[in-house]
Amino acid sequence: MSLLADVLTVLLNGLQQGAIFALLAVGLSIILGTLKFVNFAHGALYVVGTYTGLLVAHEIALTSGKLQSWGFTSLGLDLGFFAALVVVPLFVFVVGLGMERFVARPFYDRPDTDQILVTFGLAIVVQELFRILFGSNSLPFDQPAWAAGPIALPVVGNFSQWRLYVIAITAVLVLVVYALVEYTDFGLVVRAGTRDAEMVRLLGIKITRPYIVVFGIGAALAGVAGVVGGPLNVVNPTVGTDILVPAFLTVVIGGVGSIVGAVIGGVIFGLTTATLVAVAPAWSQIGLYAIAAVILLTRPQGILGNEEVAP
Amino acid sequence: MSDETQDATAQGAAPSEGVAEKEGFAGYELDTAREPVVVGATALFVLVFPYVFARMPVVSGILQGYQGLATLMLIWGIFALGFDLLLGYTGLLSFGHAAFWGGSAYAAGVFSQFAAESLGFEAGPVIIVVVGTLFAVLLAWGLGFLSLRRGGIYFSILTLAFAQMMFYLSSAPLSGITGGENGFTAVTVGHLFGVFELESELPSVLGTLMGTWLYAFVGLMTVVSVAVAYRILNSPYGMVFRAIRENEQRTEFVGLNVWRYKLMSFVISGAFAGVAGSLFTIHGNYVPLQSLYWTESGEIVIMAVLGGAGSLFGPMLGAGIYLYFENIVSGVRDLTVPFTDIVLLQGFGEYWHLLLGVLFVLVVWFFPRGIWGLFQDLRNRVTGGDSAAETGGER
Amino acid sequence: MARDTDLPTRRDVLKTTGAAGAVGIAGLAGCTGGGGDSGNGSGGEGGSGNGSGGGSGSDDYPALGNYPIEGDTAVLGFNVPQSGPYASEGQDELRAYELAVKHLNNGGGWVDSQFDDLSGDGVLGMEIDYVSGDTATDADTARQSAQRMIQRDNVIMITGGSSSATAIAMQELCQQEKVMFMCCLTHSNDTTGKNCVRYSFREMFNAYMTGQALAPVVTEEYGGDNEFYQLYADYSWGQTQQSSMQMFLEEAGWSQVESVPTPLGTSDYSSYLSEAANSGADVIVLNHYGLDGANSLSQAVDMGIDQDMELLVPLYNRPMAEAAGGAISGVFGTAAWDAQLDNEPSQQFTQVFNEEYERTPSGPAQLAYAQTLQYAAAVERAGTFYPPEVIKQLEDYEYDNIGMGQELMRKCDHQAQRDVPVVRGLPADQQEQGTYFEIVNVTSRDDLGYGCDEGPAAECELGSYE
Repeated sequence: MSLLADVLTVLLNGLQQGAIFALLAVGLSIILGTLKFVNFAHGALYVVGTYTGLLVAHEIALTSGKLQSWGFTSLGLDLGFFAALVVVPLFVFVVGLGMERFVARPFYDRPDTDQILVTFGLAIVVQELFRILFGSNSLPFDQPAWAAGPIALPVVGNFSQWRLYVIAITAVLVLVVYALVEYTDFGLVVRAGTRDAEMVRLLGIKITRPYIVVFGIGAALAGVAGVVGGPLNVVNPTVGTDILVPAFLTVVIGGVGSIVGAVIGGVIFGLTTATLVAVAPAWSQIGLYAIAAVILLTRPQGILGNEEVAP
Repeated sequence: MSDETQDATAQGAAPSEGVAEKEGFAGYELDTAREPVVVGATALFVLVFPYVFARMPVVSGILQGYQGLATLMLIWGIFALGFDLLLGYTGLLSFGHAAFWGGSAYAAGVFSQFAAESLGFEAGPVIIVVVGTLFAVLLAWGLGFLSLRRGGIYFSILTLAFAQMMFYLSSAPLSGITGGENGFTAVTVGHLFGVFELESELPSVLGTLMGTWLYAFVGLMTVVSVAVAYRILNSPYGMVFRAIRENEQRTEFVGLNVWRYKLMSFVISGAFAGVAGSLFTIHGNYVPLQSLYWTESGEIVIMAVLGGAGSLFGPMLGAGIYLYFENIVSGVRDLTVPFTDIVLLQGFGEYWHLLLGVLFVLVVWFFPRGIWGLFQDLRNRVTGGDSAAETGGER
Repeated sequence: MARDTDLPTRRDVLKTTGAAGAVGIAGLAGCTGGGGDSGNGSGGEGGSGNGSGGGSGSDDYPALGNYPIEGDTAVLGFNVPQSGPYASEGQDELRAYELAVKHLNNGGGWVDSQFDDLSGDGVLGMEIDYVSGDTATDADTARQSAQRMIQRDNVIMITGGSSSATAIAMQELCQQEKVMFMCCLTHSNDTTGKNCVRYSFREMFNAYMTGQALAPVVTEEYGGDNEFYQLYADYSWGQTQQSSMQMFLEEAGWSQVESVPTPLGTSDYSSYLSEAANSGADVIVLNHYGLDGANSLSQAVDMGIDQDMELLVPLYNRPMAEAAGGAISGVFGTAAWDAQLDNEPSQQFTQVFNEEYERTPSGPAQLAYAQTLQYAAAVERAGTFYPPEVIKQLEDYEYDNIGMGQELMRKCDHQAQRDVPVVRGLPADQQEQGTYFEIVNVTSRDDLGYGCDEGPAAECELGSYE
């Protein structure tokens, strides 16, 4: 086994693990950056994405939960994975709009802590609703047949096909969002709003609508993350809370409000995990939190965040 | 903050700008005068609570309580009280208080084992609490020193990160000491004051009321905690905490070292968590690894906010409600119409966490002063009286 | 030990108030747990004070824990995961427990056919009732729940547990409170090793025996000269499992390349698995339990590791098999029990369970059912519910009536000496509800186990009877 192969393997593993965090972090980050809204329920949107994705793509057998006791032994549309990739972002986008209107908006003028608290509570409610409906059992989320199993790569050897797709899908989505924010009028308003919302308002530009859309896009990204991330692990109602903390750390590492920063944060996160696992596995989790803490303490604006956003 | 202004003007105080100083000095005299009332009421409650909850005819049958849960409620109550000093009074939301709760629990447990195996004596509950609390104070000093360099959400995330590091440290690298996932089982607690076995019953009427020596000890610690917290909050020191919550910048401009006060608030809050965590070890003779996990930090947040952050008794009430849901409501099989066998909802118990979540969201949304604040409002509406001095602090 | 046995308990209170309180529960709890409460209104014969003992028929023993039982109903506590990742396993256990209670009171199943000591008309003339609790597979929650059962519901025995951490937490509490604990599913060496207690008995085998049972089967299947690589969950179960596998595979002639811990809470094992795949080993042992096992095994298959190497999973359970789906195909492991076992008690149990619930019982269900009846039979033999006497009846008890061959509940560590089924996962298209494995071998207890002064048993100190 050559050193090159080792390094490449670590790199690929790091990229694919970072990809899911990056997708979540981009959404979290633009919401936090533009709307100054701290969304602890972002993991709940991931759960919504995973479960709707599972139900659109496959037909699943239910073994517990209220739905089963109401007579649904199996549930799902079985439309395949592409359908899920289209339907879920749209659906979660709408969920996001609703969340902006009914949850976030009443809290824009309240302190950070209230925003954290209400979304934290909401995350619990969503998780419990899914638990009661689908049971706390884990459900298998099968990969699409065209991407199942391994592929033989040069140098590296066998690698999971699906994980390569995860990297690719993430890259495409992030590029689209980046282009949207960097090169469109919509993006201009959003970016301006991030810098100085008051000034934009004074200039007579109505920024409410782009803001709602930002929330929707952030939510949709979390939904997609749920769909592409679903087949990596078994699906159960607690995946949202499990993924929330790393996602937030990713945002903080990369810098609030920066899309590129979120991606870099995700990659750093993934690479650190992959490297630590290869070097000192018992310390891998500790190492992650330590890195996040060090970055927060030495460079509070994150790697690419702008100074004004960080308190 | 319009509530604030209303409260303040209702008392005939200056508009909200002057709240801190005004109440600071006017309230100081007044509130120390009320101290015996607050402490006395707490003591009375602690005295009768287990009887009412676990043994009193009819009432305990309705409440479905038991002795062990009464003890646990007080322990979490102390934790919540300390947490509220930070969240409710200084305005800092820590998502890492599990570090102090679990950390002190482990420190207490490991110390008791060390005393029994290496020093050759069974450490009594008092010294165990002292050791656990000292550990929590030192830890809070260190973590506070680092975390308080950042504010708002960054502070929350830093505390969370440090607590999670402790969790993972105990789970694997330190599992030789902590017992890892199995938890720490080698707790050895000696007799209270070297005389009274904690699990034995109190003499005569005290036994009927409070049950065991363990409860009496926890109860005593609760009363002391309330008294200390009341003292702190109604001292000029506590006034500064509140001033920081209201307006950090202005407090800084007055010439106070805000950072130092924040650190003190963090350390004091850690100390309360340390007392509670040590008592938790004594109560259970066992430390679960989960006591360090971030969900434990989340629980204390929920308790404090649910009951009413920024009041003395609110968070304790919140702790009681949370534990009641977790331990009693969760065990209710079917919801029935009272006094009949008509089932309204099957498998009611499994909804306990959902119900708590919904309740929590509602409280954050509509009643930022929590359930305790709601009671106060109701009382005020009835009596028209003022609520300000009632609990040694209002929001 | 003078816990609140002298205090007026809620049960006494209910008697004095004619059970009026039990019905009320202002809008909340009509009925908590199985509630043995409402039937007690008239039961006035039990002295409420100093444990002079009521209907248990034997006044020779002092009050201890929740003994003596007041009234004519003995309450058992079933503490299983009802939420959390192992909820489906807990539900199946609870079904078996309820079935056991039904059979103890009314006859049926093994009570009629396998357990001569049991009458099918209660136990020692007492009706059996139960309360249930939720452990959420969390040691702390499990302990709180057990404490509630002991203090409020006055249970005389607790059983349950779907993980070693919860079982250890509960049995420690039971030892303190002098209430019997019958382990259900717990596989760690520690349960009957360094954390063993006098008041707890384990029917399930442990990690040590899994290693002993698996080694001969896999060395025969894959050849006697292989290199193996281990991943193990970095907590006590994983560590003991890992060292057992190493010991017995090396004894069988294999050599270990490396053994790597994965931290608690890992859900993505791909980095660990790549390391393993590149190690050049022939076999990878995945010492992960339950859902962690489902994740690591599916990810291994997804990465194509099974094409070049063989995979081993020491302990299967049903939630894991359900979640892993086709990934378990061809993978060896051990299982607590399986409905396909071809012997009379196993088939009888499968049949009565199926008649009652229209489903195939899982391994833990058999453990749950067996452990409850085992306890009841010991009470009958002892002639009293007094825990030390019941314990003495179980210690060094020999039996062959629960479908796992001839067994001995060893006195020195309270670990059952029994056969271990070795199974192999079925391909996805051959799986159906309740059937996930084929039984490859039932390793005889003569080839398993360890002496009272060696292995995990050497670390066991059971503690006092009273």
